[in-house]
Amino acid sequence: MLKALILQVIVLIGSSLSYQINGKWYCRNNMDCLPWESKNTETLPKIYETQNLCRLMCGKFRGLWPQVTRICNIEKSVNPVNFELITFDYPNDNENIKDFYEQVTLLFKRNLIEECGKSCSMQSNNSLHIRISVVDKSLMLNSLTDESYRLNISTMTDNEITVQISAKTIFGTRHALETLSQLMVKTVDDNDQNGLLIVSSADILDKPFYQHRGLLIDTARHFISIASLMKILDGMSANKMNVFHWHITDSQSFPMEIKRRPEMHGNGAFSKDKVYFKSDIDKIVQYAKYRGIRVIFELDAPAHAGKGWEWGEKSGLGKLAVCVDDQPWRKSCIQPNCGQLNPSNENLYSVLHDIYQDIRDYKEKNEFIHMGGDEVFVKCWNNTKEITDYMATKNYDRNNVIGFLQLWSEFQGKALNIWDNITDEKESIVMWSSELTLPENIEKFLPKERYIIQTWIPNNSDIPQKLLDKGYRLIMTTKNAWYFDHGFWGNTKYYNWKTVYANTLPRNELVLGGEVCMWSEYLDEHSIEMKIFPRLNAAAERLWANPKTDLNAVESRFYRQRERIVAKGIQADAILTEYCTLFEGECRG
Amino acid sequence: MYISETQDFISSPYLTHINNVVKNSEMLLANYTDERNRSSVTEPWTYSCEKNKCIRKLHSDLSSEVRVTFLSCAMTCGDNVNIWPLPKSAQMKKTIQNIHLSNIQYKIETPFPNVADLMHKAVALFVSDIKQVMKANGADFGSKSINEENVTVNILMKILEFNETILTMQSDECYHLFIKQQDTSLNISITSKTFFGARHALETLQQLIWYDDAIHSLRILNSVNINDCPKFNYRGLMLDTSRHYFSVGSIKRIITGMAHVKLNRFHWHIVDSQSFPFVSEFYPELSKYGAYSSKEVYTHSDISEIVEFAEVRGIQVITEIDAPAHAGNGWQFGSEKGLGELSLCINQQPWNRYCGEPPCGQLNPKNNNTYMVLEKLYSEIVNLTKTTDIFHLGGDEVNFDCWRQFFKGADLKKLWCDFMIEAYDRLVTANNDESIKYATIWNSEFEKVKCLPAENFTIQVWLAKNPELKRFIDSKYNLIISHVDAWYFDCGFGTWRSTSGEGVCPPFKAWYTVYNYQPWNELYLTSEQMKQILGGEACMWTETVDEYSVDIKIWPRASALAERLWSDIKKFSIPVETVQRFSIFHTRFLDLGLKSDVIWPEYCEQNLNECII
Repeated sequence: MLKALILQVIVLIGSSLSYQINGKWYCRNNMDCLPWESKNTETLPKIYETQNLCRLMCGKFRGLWPQVTRICNIEKSVNPVNFELITFDYPNDNENIKDFYEQVTLLFKRNLIEECGKSCSMQSNNSLHIRISVVDKSLMLNSLTDESYRLNISTMTDNEITVQISAKTIFGTRHALETLSQLMVKTVDDNDQNGLLIVSSADILDKPFYQHRGLLIDTARHFISIASLMKILDGMSANKMNVFHWHITDSQSFPMEIKRRPEMHGNGAFSKDKVYFKSDIDKIVQYAKYRGIRVIFELDAPAHAGKGWEWGEKSGLGKLAVCVDDQPWRKSCIQPNCGQLNPSNENLYSVLHDIYQDIRDYKEKNEFIHMGGDEVFVKCWNNTKEITDYMATKNYDRNNVIGFLQLWSEFQGKALNIWDNITDEKESIVMWSSELTLPENIEKFLPKERYIIQTWIPNNSDIPQKLLDKGYRLIMTTKNAWYFDHGFWGNTKYYNWKTVYANTLPRNELVLGGEVCMWSEYLDEHSIEMKIFPRLNAAAERLWANPKTDLNAVESRFYRQRERIVAKGIQADAILTEYCTLFEGECRG
Repeated sequence: MYISETQDFISSPYLTHINNVVKNSEMLLANYTDERNRSSVTEPWTYSCEKNKCIRKLHSDLSSEVRVTFLSCAMTCGDNVNIWPLPKSAQMKKTIQNIHLSNIQYKIETPFPNVADLMHKAVALFVSDIKQVMKANGADFGSKSINEENVTVNILMKILEFNETILTMQSDECYHLFIKQQDTSLNISITSKTFFGARHALETLQQLIWYDDAIHSLRILNSVNINDCPKFNYRGLMLDTSRHYFSVGSIKRIITGMAHVKLNRFHWHIVDSQSFPFVSEFYPELSKYGAYSSKEVYTHSDISEIVEFAEVRGIQVITEIDAPAHAGNGWQFGSEKGLGELSLCINQQPWNRYCGEPPCGQLNPKNNNTYMVLEKLYSEIVNLTKTTDIFHLGGDEVNFDCWRQFFKGADLKKLWCDFMIEAYDRLVTANNDESIKYATIWNSEFEKVKCLPAENFTIQVWLAKNPELKRFIDSKYNLIISHVDAWYFDCGFGTWRSTSGEGVCPPFKAWYTVYNYQPWNELYLTSEQMKQILGGEACMWTETVDEYSVDIKIWPRASALAERLWSDIKKFSIPVETVQRFSIFHTRFLDLGLKSDVIWPEYCEQNLNECII
C-alpha cells in the first residue's frame, strides 16, 4: 500500500510541473515577468516559455546588467542558435592579441554554458558568427583605456546569424561579448535538450559613465586565496567592473612577496602558505586583464604598517616601523596590532625603494599606485623619542598637529621621489583622504597634478566638493553606502543593495569614479562572496550607467544578474523571497 | 564551484566540444592554482607558553628548536579548557600524547541493540571528523609521523540505562568522559545513561584531539576528567524552507554544524504562504500547487533521510506546518477537489492589508475539510519525524482583516482559539490518540493565547518581554525563547520590501549579542518556574538568504547560542577566556569542513592576547 502511494506521487510530480511554473510567462506593463494564469481575462498577451526569456523580451533594458547607456534597440523576438556552430573572426595581428582573444572568447563561451547548462546540445541549423573589429590593438589596460563598444546583431540569412562588434580598444570588445552573452538565454527543446536563443536583432552603443569602477579587497586582515580572488574577479567582469584595488598589506600582515627584500613577507605572512608570490601576483594581473580589470596595488603607509617591518633592528637598519604591537594598543593605533613607519630612519627609504621596485614590476605600466596615507596616529610618533628628536632638528612643532603633518608630508615627498626615480613617466599616485588632504591643507602638501584622492567620507560631507573646486581628481568611496564590511560589527549599519544602488556620485569630470570597499577584519574567504555579491552588481550599474534611481524597475533585472553570479559558482546573498522573484511586482507596496 | 559541477560530464561525442570549453576554462583556472613554489618561505611562526599565554614568535629566531604549532601551545598553556560549549566540570592535566589513527579501538557496552547500532555510526562520524581535521591541517596519510609511538587508544562506551534515540523533554544528555594513560595504552571511558550523552562525549573528545603539522602527528590530552550536562534540554535552530528552498544537502550541512556544538533540535519551518515544498502523500496537490518548481520539493524519502541523518547526531527534527496564518500557496486545490476553500485571501492584493508579508493566505477556520487535511499532514509528519512529546503548530500572525471579509461579525479571537484547539485535537488523533505535552505555537499577545490550556501548549516567544513574559510563566506555560532582538539571524540586512520599514528586526545580532542574551536572569524565577523555560532557539528566516549564504548567516552565531544554552555561564560581559576559546573553536569548525563567518581578524586568531582591550 505504501509503495503504491509513493509511486503515485512520483508520477504526479514528474508529469506536471507546479501550476505556477507551467511554462507560461508574460510581461506585464513592460516591466514585470509573471506566470500567466488562465483566469486572467485581459487580452491574451505574448506568452514566453521561461521567465528568463520573458525577461529578455521585457522592459527597455531587458535582462542586461549593467544597463546600456547610449543606444539600446533590441528586437522583441529570438532565434535558436546551435552552440556547436558559434564562430569568431577576431584580430590576430600577433601572438599576444591572438592569445587575448582566445581567452576572451573562451570566457564568452563559458558564460554561455553557465546560462545553458552543461549539456548545451540542442540541434539547430543556425550558426552564430561573431566578427570583432578594433581600432587600437594595444593590450595596455589603464585609466586611459576607452571601453566603449558597438554591438549589432543582424537578422538571420541562410541560417547564419551575424554579430558585429566594433570598439576603439580590445577591452571595449571584451565588454561587448559580456553584453552579447546576456542577450542569449537558455531554452529546452521538445527533445528535452538544453539550448540557446539569441535576440533576433539588436543595435547597441555603450560607454561607461565613470572610468574608474572599483572593488577594494583587503588581504591583510585575513588572507584571501588566489582561487577565491579569481572567483571574485569573475564576478566583477560579469558586471564590467574594471578596477581591483588590492589592499595587499596592513599592520596585521604583509603577505606580498618582495623579491628584493624577502624579509618583508618572511616576517609578515600569517603562514608560509599565506603569501602572494610573484608568480601568483603576475597571474592575478593577467587573469584580471582577460576580464577587462585593472589591478591597483596599495602599499599603505606610513600608518597601517607593522608586521613585516620588524626586522630592521636585527639587520642593523634600525627601526623601520615604530609602535609595532604596542600594548595597550589603544594608545598607539586605532585597531590592533599597531605599527607605523619611522620617517626619521633613512634606511626606511632604501627599503621602500626596493619594495616599490617590486610593485612597479608587478603592475601595468602607467597604472596608478596607491600609497595609502590614511589614519596616521600622531600619538605613536609623538611617543617615540627617535622621531621627536628628529622633529626637533627639523623645527617641526610637536605641540601642533601641523608639525606632524609636515613630518608626514616629508615622508610622502620622499616616497614620491623614490617612485619617480624608478618609473619612466610621472605617474599618478592615489592616496586616501586624511588630515593631509583636508581642503585647507592639501595644497600645501600634495600637488594636484600628481595626486588623486580616494575619499572615504559619508555622503553628507562637503569635503569632496571642496577638493573638486580646488581641481583635485577624486575616486569616491561613500563611507555610509559603499563600505561593505559595515553592519557586522560595532554600531555600523549594513547597506543593502538598494542603498548601494541609490548612492550617486557628483557629475564632475574630476570624479574618476568610485570604489566599494571590502575590508576584511570580519570576514575571510568563506564569507567574502556573500558580503560582496550581489551588492557589487548594484554599484556596478551605478558606476557604468549612473541611471536615475527607480528601484522597482531595476529589481527584476537585478535579480537576473544575481542568478548569473550564482551560476559562476559564487555564493551570493539573496535579496528577495523566491516567491517574489517568480511573481515579479507582486511584493511591492 | 564550477569545476566540481562538471565532473559528471557525459562523454558522448556530441558533447566533446562543450567538454573542451569547460576543460579549457578549467585549465585556465588550474593554471593559476597549481602547486606554487613555496620553498622560499618556511612556516614562520612558533609559539611559546609564557605566563599562561601563547606568544607568537618568529621561528627563524629560534630555529634550533622544534616549531610549536598554535594548537599544541593553546591546548597545553594556561587554564583554558578548549572545548565549545564549555563543559559543566572539567579537570585536565595539560599533558600530550601523540597517537596514531590506526591505533584507535573502541568498544560499546549496552543492552540495547538499537543504541549499539546508532553508536557504531556515531563512532564512524567521529573518526571521519578526525580525518577531516587532519586533512585540513595538511596531514599526509601515507607517511609515518616523526614521533611514531605505539600507543593503543581504547575507547570504551557504556550506555546502560535507556534505549531512546529520539529526544524527549526528559531525555538525559549527560556524560562522563575520562581519559587516562597507562604506559602504552591510553584509555578513554565514556559513560552515559543515553545515546545522546555518549555522542556528545565523542564530540567533546574530538575537540581534545588535534593534528600537529610540525611533528606530523595526531595528539591528544591524556589526562582528562569531564562531567558534563546541558543547562537546557531544548537547544534549537530553526530553518525556514518556504521563503527560499534549501537542498537536502544544504540542510544536512546545517545539521552537521549543529551536532558539533551539541544543538539538539532542528526546527524545520517547512512551509509558509510563499511555497509548500512538502510532498504530502495524502494531498500531493499541496506541493503541486505550492512548490516553486518540481525539483524544489521534500518527498517522504528526503525527510526520512534528514531525520536519520539528524538522529545519528543526537538531533530531533521538529517539522512545522504553520497554521492558520502563513498558509497560502498550495492550498488552492480545495475547491477543485470538492473540499471547498481551504485557505482564504491567497495572493490577495494589496497584500499589506491582508497579511504581514506577501503573498497572503490564511486557512479557512470554518471549513471542516481544512482540519481533515491538517490531520493527515500531521499524521505523515508524526511518522516521518518519529514525534515524541513535542510538535510545532505554528499559530502566529493571524490577520483579522483577511478573515473579517468572510466572517462578518464573528469573534475573530475566539475563531483563532477554536482553530488552535481543533488543530491540537487533530494532532492527538494523528498521534494515535496519544496526547502531546509540548504542542508549540509562536507567541501572539498574551490576551490571545490565554484560551489555550498550558498543560498542552508551549509558547515559542519571539516578541513578548517583561512583564508579558512573566505572565506567560505565571500562567504555567512552558516557553522556548527566540527573541527577535537577540536570536533572529535574518535581521540587519536591510528591508526587502519597497515601502515598509524594518520594524523590530534590525540591527544584525553579532555573535557576542547572541551569546550574552540570558533573559531568564531578569525574570527572577523560582527553580520550579525556571523549569518552564525549556530552552531557546535561533531562527533563520529566509526572505533574504538561500543556501549560498545561509552558512555564513548561521555560523558562528549558532555556536554562540549553543554555549549559552548548554553552559549558561552567568556573566554580564563576555570573559576574555571565552573569546579566545571561541576563536580556537572557530578554526576547528572550519577544519571540520564547514563554512562560517569569522569572529575577528586573522592576526587575532594567531595572537589571542593581543586584540583584547
